[in-house]
Amino acid sequence: MKRLRSKYTKGEEVKFISHLDLLRVIQRALRRADIKVAFSQGFNPHPRISFGPALMVGATTEGDYMDVDVEEDISPHEFKERMNEVLPSGIKIVEVFEVDVRDSLSSRIKGADYLVEVFLKKEVEGLEEAVKRFMAKDTIEIEKETKKGKKLVDLKSYLEEFYLIDMNGERAKFYVKMKLGEGSPNPFHLLKAFNEYIGDAFDLEYYKIHRKNMFLE
Amino acid sequence: MDIKEKVDSLLMKVSKPTRYTGGELNSVLKNPKEVKVRFAFAFPDVYEVGMSHLGMRILYHLLNKREDVYCERVFAPWVDMEALMRQNKIPLFTLETKTPLSEFDFVGFTLQYELSYTNVINMLNLANIPILSREREGLPFVIAGGPCAYNPAPLSEVIDFFVMGEGEEVIHEIIDAYIEWKERGGEREEFLEAVSQIQGVYVPKYYIEEYDKDGKIKEIRPIKKGIPERVKKRIVKDFENVYHPEEQIVPFMDIVHDRIMLEIFRGCTRGCRFCQAGMIYRPLREKSKEKILELADKLVKSTGYEEISLASLSTFDYSQIEDLIKELISRYQEKGIGVSIPSSRVDAVSINLLKEIQKVRKTGLTLAPEAGTQRLRDVINKGITEEDILEATASAFEAGWNNIKLYFMIGLPTETMEDVEGIVDLAYKIVDNYKRVKGNIKNLRVTVSTSTFVPKPFTPFQWVAQDSVKRIIEKQNFLKERLKSKVLKYNWHNPYMSFLEATISRGDRRVGKAIIKAWEKGCKFDGWDDYFDHEKWEKAFKETGVNPHFYANREWEIDEVLPWDVVDVGVTKKFLEREYKKALEGRITHDCRYYCTGCGVKDYDEGVICFEAPKK
Ligand code: SF4
Repeated sequence: MKRLRSKYTKGEEVKFISHLDLLRVIQRALRRADIKVAFSQGFNPHPRISFGPALMVGATTEGDYMDVDVEEDISPHEFKERMNEVLPSGIKIVEVFEVDVRDSLSSRIKGADYLVEVFLKKEVEGLEEAVKRFMAKDTIEIEKETKKGKKLVDLKSYLEEFYLIDMNGERAKFYVKMKLGEGSPNPFHLLKAFNEYIGDAFDLEYYKIHRKNMFLE
Repeated sequence: MDIKEKVDSLLMKVSKPTRYTGGELNSVLKNPKEVKVRFAFAFPDVYEVGMSHLGMRILYHLLNKREDVYCERVFAPWVDMEALMRQNKIPLFTLETKTPLSEFDFVGFTLQYELSYTNVINMLNLANIPILSREREGLPFVIAGGPCAYNPAPLSEVIDFFVMGEGEEVIHEIIDAYIEWKERGGEREEFLEAVSQIQGVYVPKYYIEEYDKDGKIKEIRPIKKGIPERVKKRIVKDFENVYHPEEQIVPFMDIVHDRIMLEIFRGCTRGCRFCQAGMIYRPLREKSKEKILELADKLVKSTGYEEISLASLSTFDYSQIEDLIKELISRYQEKGIGVSIPSSRVDAVSINLLKEIQKVRKTGLTLAPEAGTQRLRDVINKGITEEDILEATASAFEAGWNNIKLYFMIGLPTETMEDVEGIVDLAYKIVDNYKRVKGNIKNLRVTVSTSTFVPKPFTPFQWVAQDSVKRIIEKQNFLKERLKSKVLKYNWHNPYMSFLEATISRGDRRVGKAIIKAWEKGCKFDGWDDYFDHEKWEKAFKETGVNPHFYANREWEIDEVLPWDVVDVGVTKKFLEREYKKALEGRITHDCRYYCTGCGVKDYDEGVICFEAPKK
């Protein structure tokens, strides 16, 4: 058995498929590519495939990771080629490398960076400065929904970088870099908090989040 | 925001957004500018229901194999999406290219059940296409097929033309006629005239339905020269080689039947007297085992699915079923690909096969005795005895099954309370059976479900009155009281829904007015318990002067003109009448797989051959 770590993209075409749907897509693609996946032991064996932290439904990515344990001697290069031949459009594997079978993906992932695009409801002056002031705060408390109800979280402790890239007409584009782990806040939480801070200037009915990279340790 | 962003912003707010996004594996992308005909295949229910339907999958790929046609899909948007679309003035669009339906050459609906008719109307309205055929100048042709099309009367003002029978061949003829008409720049009327000459096509506006003083139909006749008096359904004669897709769309979301669907035969020879499918899909035609294995191989490769469903009306009746299942299992077990059997004949042989299937993938056990007593099973010609049922369940319990589902019908012709009680008796006999095999009933779960008998066109019971809602409720209550125990669970159908189903299924053109009225009052998704609104329907009937009991609860006379007499399905009225009489006398008719019982389909058309199995 060996563990192959793949970096993959999820584009506009498939941005609404859920994490669970994605797992099914990968399983079926593996079957079409005729790649033998290893199964877990036990009463209810399941294929050994694992993903990094789930991407929000509606977001795109060009740098997410997944691990697939294979039961055959297939090279990373061949794995990539064979999978890309059968994956639905919008999902593509860009890089594959072998890692130790004890190397767990979730403990490796430290953070991620994003491009975030929002629509403005009204004109905002000094948006760039507002971002800077926002970042200069010591703590940024937000309420986050968890399975056990609402919880107060300090967004600031997760936030590494946040700046305005570009504003034209009704759109503003930001760069965001955040820590990523089980239960960490996501860029949408940041958008909401920042929008409140500047007095509700964004139309948060719609926004675009694109994950550029996941950072591995 | 551009249009795509606008739609995306709505999708962020709805449940299950992938119902609307398309882009699934094996869905077809073409440049609409490079085809001559754009066809929107419309299924009047949500995505996960529609995508589970084999007929749609066949016609989608069949049409897209043609270079001059682009077939796209559209489903009924769920209520959350519909509300947002109406609010934002977004017309109903197809999944593939997000094109509004009004820009297509055809919008083709498949009519699988009567309670989807308000969705047909709602979808047209959402697409800004007038719901009445006569107001559609310059817009797509709205056509319909599928089992419910065999009684075209209720939707005759809505649909421009119906297509009767199997679509694989006739659809090409229609498309060819369309291209010819379009290139010559003909009038709308001219195209309708042209298709009315194609076998299987019914153009409602060329016919008139006239009534007697007592409200019964006096006559249905063509009102134009050269229009056939009766429309003959289409039958595919070479079923072995007829088109079957070698790929299948693989949805992202979980759908109702999320697996490979491989059609192994068409038609059914059993002759259950309540069953419409058993009559209208005659004759029986099988694919060879070799052909099925070849298709299975291609479908597994192209989809990556983990399960192959062998689709037909009664899969265990396939002449080489044992060999086929064993072969499929030996080929695919290694890869973890299982087989599933959608139907429910259960005897010792099939239990053994289910055991084999079970090795790869767990399957449930479903039996359909349909009636509780032997007398009533003979009336409906369900060729299954109590011994069969008890024997089969015993061997199933020995093989390790603990869950079993039993399907019955209530309200069948001649049914008495004794027959209803028979359902209870049978259920408890099965429980006792389990106890005998296992020693206790700790792990046993028996689910008893009853549906309500609906008289359907082109069955021996097409003349029979449906039980009143009151009577049905009495019978359901009787069962609710008696099927109460730790191991027994009872499910029943909403009786008002079955009443509506009967009204529409035997409806004539007048019923169509009530359907439109009900839609105006907000009825849609009538087949969904949460959305079915009996009171609105009652008002709609009242306001249009239609008495639903006249259609549902009346015993029709044998020589009465039926709304669907204008269609010829191959099985003769004489045969249906004979079967009805035999039913009332409690006489069975044997399976015509071995000896022809004279239903008429054999002599219907040149080249129609009923499958003949080697005589036992
Ligand atoms: S013609 Fe005879 S063999 Fe053919 S379907 Fe009818 S009864 Fe059966």
